[in-house]
Amino acid sequence: MYKPGWQKTGWTALAVLMLSACSQQNNAGSEDADAADDTPPTQTQSAPNDAADDSAASADGPVRPPRDPYPSTYEPYTSETVLLTGATVLTGTGERIENGSVLVADGRISAVGAAGAVTAPDGATTIDASGKWITPGIIDNHSHLGNYPSPSTSSTSDGNEIVSPNTAYVWTEHSVWPQDAGFTRALAGGVTSLQVLPGSANLFGGRAVTLKNVPSRSVQGMKFPGAPYGMKMACGENPKRVYGDRGGPGTRMGNFAGYRSAWIEAKAYQEKWEDYWTKYEEWAEGDSDDRGDAPDAPGRDLKLETLAGALNGDILVNMHCYRADEMVLVLDLAEEFGYEVTAFHHAIEAYKIADYLAESDICAAVWADWWGFKLEAYDTVGENAALVHAQPGGCAIIHSDSALGIQRLNQEAAKAMADGRRIGIDIEPEDAIAWITANPAKTMGILDDTGTLEAGKMADIVVWNQNPFSVYAKAEQVYVDGALLYDRDDPARSPRMDFEIGQRDNGFTGGAGQ
Amino acid sequence: MRNIMISKMLSPNAVLKRTAKSVTAIAAGAAAFSAFAMAQTVAIMDGQVHTVSDGVIENGDVIIRDGRITQIGADLTAPPGATVIDATGKVVTPGLIAPYTSIGLVEIGLDDEGNDSSPDSGFPLGAALNAVDAYNPTSTLIPINRAAGLTRALSAPGAGDSLFGGKAAVIDLSGQTNSIMRADAAQIAVMGYGGAARAGDTRMGAWALMRETLDEARSYHANPNDYVRRPHDGRITVSDLKALGPVINANQPLMVTANGANDIRTLIRLKNTYRLNVVLVGGSEAWRVADDLAAANIPVILSGLANLPSQFEDIDSTLMNAARLHAADVRIAFYDGSHNARLIRQHAGNAVAHGLPFDAALAALTLSAAQMLGVEAQLGSLETGKIADVVIWDGDPLEVTTRPEAVFINGRPQDLNNRQRMLMERYRDLSRGDLPHAYRGGE
Repeated sequence: MYKPGWQKTGWTALAVLMLSACSQQNNAGSEDADAADDTPPTQTQSAPNDAADDSAASADGPVRPPRDPYPSTYEPYTSETVLLTGATVLTGTGERIENGSVLVADGRISAVGAAGAVTAPDGATTIDASGKWITPGIIDNHSHLGNYPSPSTSSTSDGNEIVSPNTAYVWTEHSVWPQDAGFTRALAGGVTSLQVLPGSANLFGGRAVTLKNVPSRSVQGMKFPGAPYGMKMACGENPKRVYGDRGGPGTRMGNFAGYRSAWIEAKAYQEKWEDYWTKYEEWAEGDSDDRGDAPDAPGRDLKLETLAGALNGDILVNMHCYRADEMVLVLDLAEEFGYEVTAFHHAIEAYKIADYLAESDICAAVWADWWGFKLEAYDTVGENAALVHAQPGGCAIIHSDSALGIQRLNQEAAKAMADGRRIGIDIEPEDAIAWITANPAKTMGILDDTGTLEAGKMADIVVWNQNPFSVYAKAEQVYVDGALLYDRDDPARSPRMDFEIGQRDNGFTGGAGQ
Repeated sequence: MRNIMISKMLSPNAVLKRTAKSVTAIAAGAAAFSAFAMAQTVAIMDGQVHTVSDGVIENGDVIIRDGRITQIGADLTAPPGATVIDATGKVVTPGLIAPYTSIGLVEIGLDDEGNDSSPDSGFPLGAALNAVDAYNPTSTLIPINRAAGLTRALSAPGAGDSLFGGKAAVIDLSGQTNSIMRADAAQIAVMGYGGAARAGDTRMGAWALMRETLDEARSYHANPNDYVRRPHDGRITVSDLKALGPVINANQPLMVTANGANDIRTLIRLKNTYRLNVVLVGGSEAWRVADDLAAANIPVILSGLANLPSQFEDIDSTLMNAARLHAADVRIAFYDGSHNARLIRQHAGNAVAHGLPFDAALAALTLSAAQMLGVEAQLGSLETGKIADVVIWDGDPLEVTTRPEAVFINGRPQDLNNRQRMLMERYRDLSRGDLPHAYRGGE
């Protein structure tokens, strides 16, 4: 798993060092970083959040920007020990188990295997899932639920800070409205985790946030514990269209100049802080009688803080990029400034450079068949995901970018799988399920916690009425951390958001499964 | 009375008369095309044949000659000289009909030059716009949607500032220059929130403006010479009033976008008052008014996927919409934009997953859509004498993993190649090769 703040080098290493000290002083009850490496994170926040305290007091260490000032407050809901047995199980690791069983205990997957090989402990509820299919919870790494919610009005349109081509300073969690009815519909589609991104008007759109798909009164109550931040960047048409008559960029070369200038600025900012921490360390080690005052910390800059976080790998870079040639340029851009692109999103032309992407270990998040809404979306092919997948080491993802699409990522993956199979690429459901589970989890830095059915992981599970790669498939039960949060047959297990309550005098609206 | 007018509108004679009147030049082109089609006799043998109008024939045969279905049944004999297609294990259906698209009017949504589908803000005309004037039969959308089993579509303009979008045309997806089957097939209008936004930002404004326009159109058509001599405020152009003639005479369906149940009730009142032929488009909350829609004989072109309260008028949006409308005897069909009009299959499949009977879903993609467009005498089902738009599928036509293996339009086998397929072929092998990728594929 990607560990925020656990980088071994430079800025971060130093930060972590200081952080640990902080955490021991200020937050004795929390897990420390090393423990989090070996065991699944607890639901209270893991170590990186302990840096949240922005201590300016030099006696306690140097000034350090808070790393997680809006920490997750999510805690799993009540779960039982459950043995689901007799189903076709797609583990998300490429395995398919006929007549398989999944044992859930304490909100975790405790065992997965052939029905005979997994036994229910005392007190467990055994559920006959014969004829059903079980998959990991579906994960969407490109959503705007909450920041472009339903209802969609100017009042709720909070996804794009269209005021400057570089708004790396915004954090989209500050826009996410937890009452978006779209979350409930996505849950009925089996979605258990999602990344909400800022829009693509800007070169740097701001920070993304990873959520568990659990209704909550606050966005913090949805935040995926321990998940790193993402950052949204955008290629091509959108920034130049939006800013062409507003001071630029007005061209693709303007876009790149914008990226490069920003990274140069971020590097300088990063170095300024590193320099400060080095000086502070020297000062702290100096003779307390004649070392004088502690060095002054640099001023904080929210924009550069996020960019510096992306440079050092704390923040995962999600690049909205349609065209192959632009993606190849972005690979060099990342090389030039020493950062990594985690995933290309909307990668309509990924199939043209599937070899480059696989060699560079970058996932391509694509739609199954959307196309033509703008020129950079003209060249899609139905085999896009399959061709990316077919490369050795290739990583394909089906994403939604849509409050409707997120409800049926299984169908979208099915279309892409079918198109691949038709040109002779051998893709089975046990492979393609990773496009909407393990692979997006990887790009969100949460694969160690969820995304596959493996012992020890969060019990994020979907029980389908049939093979999910079908238009007729429906999620029947959805478990999040072992808690049954959606049951198609039980209205009491079907969330309704505040907005939908009392709107009509009938019993049909608002339920997730409608 | 309403029903009489509707049946007159939908009668085959009315269809032929209107076709002959409005597209003479196209008819001349079609004659040349028919000569080509004469040579074609095709026998599709032993498929699971979904006639839509008369059930399913297991191991069924469909004989096509001169562009028409000449025989359908089990254990038929292929005529001498026919191209015989073994459809064993395949599913045979009528060609799919997308009753609400802008195919041929839009190539690239966000590219001004590549998008003729609706006028910019400030342009004075609405109803007078005619899809035929801009229709581009060489659009890449056509072969791409055709390869997915679509054989006919309505090519409809969208509304700019006016409540009216203009005159839509029924086209076939052959991509031939003579592929406009019927011009002036429908008039487009947008009401509900979309209409309100064009009329003072209130639904009251939209309906008042709609009635005023229809009243003016009646007045104009009662005596055009007298009308143009009288003073007018110029809010509604004479061109638009002229174009609304077939609408006020109920000779042409008025396809009205509306979603909220309250707007739909007002639409029903409007239809009854003005005796219009109305097709409802959108209809998120149509199920709440299902019985009234059935009584008013208003069909609905809907999304099979919309289920979010994306506006106040969509609060009761539900995946059960299609099933509930069908249960109330409301005729339904599906729509999904233009580039991916092909996804109406997926809409239908999802509707089945949420209670719509399979046969009704297949009818929604074929015969019901044909009825809404007034072409059900020629299209929409596999029946002797009908135009041979036929698709052979490799599985359940509503399933997302199913694809067409063969598509016939006007009895002619269609090329399923398209720009997307060619791009895929070009980049399927990324090895360097002797020459760059630009030298590969594309033939």
